[in-house]
Amino acid sequence: MLAVLPAIGEGFYFRDRVSWQSPIPASELVTVDQAKAWGDGVIWVDARPDDEFASDHVPGAFSLNEDHWGELLAQFLPNWSPEKKVVVYCSAESCNAARDVAKRLRDDAQIQNVFVLNGGWEEWMKKNR
Amino acid sequence: MKTRILTFTLSILLVVSARAELKWEQNIIELHPSVGDKQAVAHFKYQNTGTAPIHFKSVKASCGCTTTQTQKEVVNPGEKGEIVATFNIGDRTGQQLKTVTVQTDDPNPAQASTVLTLKADITPALEIKPQVVYWQSGEEPKSKKISVKAAKEFPAKELTIKSNSQNFESKVEPGKPGEWTIEVTPKDTTHPIGTALLIQTDYPKEAPKSFYLNVVVTNPPQAPPVLRPTAAPAPGLKATPAAIPSVSPAAR
Repeated sequence: MLAVLPAIGEGFYFRDRVSWQSPIPASELVTVDQAKAWGDGVIWVDARPDDEFASDHVPGAFSLNEDHWGELLAQFLPNWSPEKKVVVYCSAESCNAARDVAKRLRDDAQIQNVFVLNGGWEEWMKKNR
Repeated sequence: MKTRILTFTLSILLVVSARAELKWEQNIIELHPSVGDKQAVAHFKYQNTGTAPIHFKSVKASCGCTTTQTQKEVVNPGEKGEIVATFNIGDRTGQQLKTVTVQTDDPNPAQASTVLTLKADITPALEIKPQVVYWQSGEEPKSKKISVKAAKEFPAKELTIKSNSQNFESKVEPGKPGEWTIEVTPKDTTHPIGTALLIQTDYPKEAPKSFYLNVVVTNPPQAPPVLRPTAAPAPGLKATPAAIPSVSPAAR
């Protein structure tokens, strides 16, 4: 009981400094090494804005962001097939775009086996450059 | 000597008593953009209620879709200002939550970082269910139905379908006002193929909006490997069933 009161107080005081989004479940996250081990069984999806995709991206990745969701989904789907695993990434660990795009692929496009790349593009760069 | 000690003590007191404090009017702003709006703009107002100037070290948005503008780099005691966060809606729908993290040089670590939150509830102009229609290769090429409902603020009266593909036939059946059913039939499902049908509305008159409906014939799901026991299971043990194949969207 004694510990609860300060915890509530601290929670209220720091209410504007905490993340409002729950962490991505571990089962939906994949590391660069794991994704690379899947080889040709992976389709890479770049959830970053168009200009960042244009400047550089994972080889073979499709651009699919929510700025032009309808148009980009239409370009992505003919290249997808059910046996493939979809790995979505955004800029870094802190960005939310990959999580949002992954959710939309599951909910709107009813695609299974959608994962978020842990660490995003930043982590890919560390492992590949 | 006394004067020196007094000056030193006073300067210490001044440094200790000088404090910076950025007070935010609101840390969370909820916006309700109208159907068809391209942007939602939040004004996060602040005031330096302390006695020392505050410097902004960084202002970072959680998403590339949000841009921020700070009016000044230094906020002097008593000064007011605002950080403007502009959220570019794009094709996003539903409840959106974007954050802006503000770092200042406030010596108090608890005050140095503030997270500003922009919430926006975005109503889609057209609710298309499902947004993607699947058939599996080899599946009977039966027609599938898609329901379309216009938002109250989007008074479209007519829908037409445009497609570059000859592989799918489609027709639009009007229902209640603002509601339609689209029926799509693939001409053949012998091989994987996909296309986007363009749903063209008649609203707004000057620049009618269009939407995508994706129709896809997918590869058949790969058969799971057949597990053949190399030896009979030990007495008392049951044979393990083969892995359950993942259900493809077309099979749902």
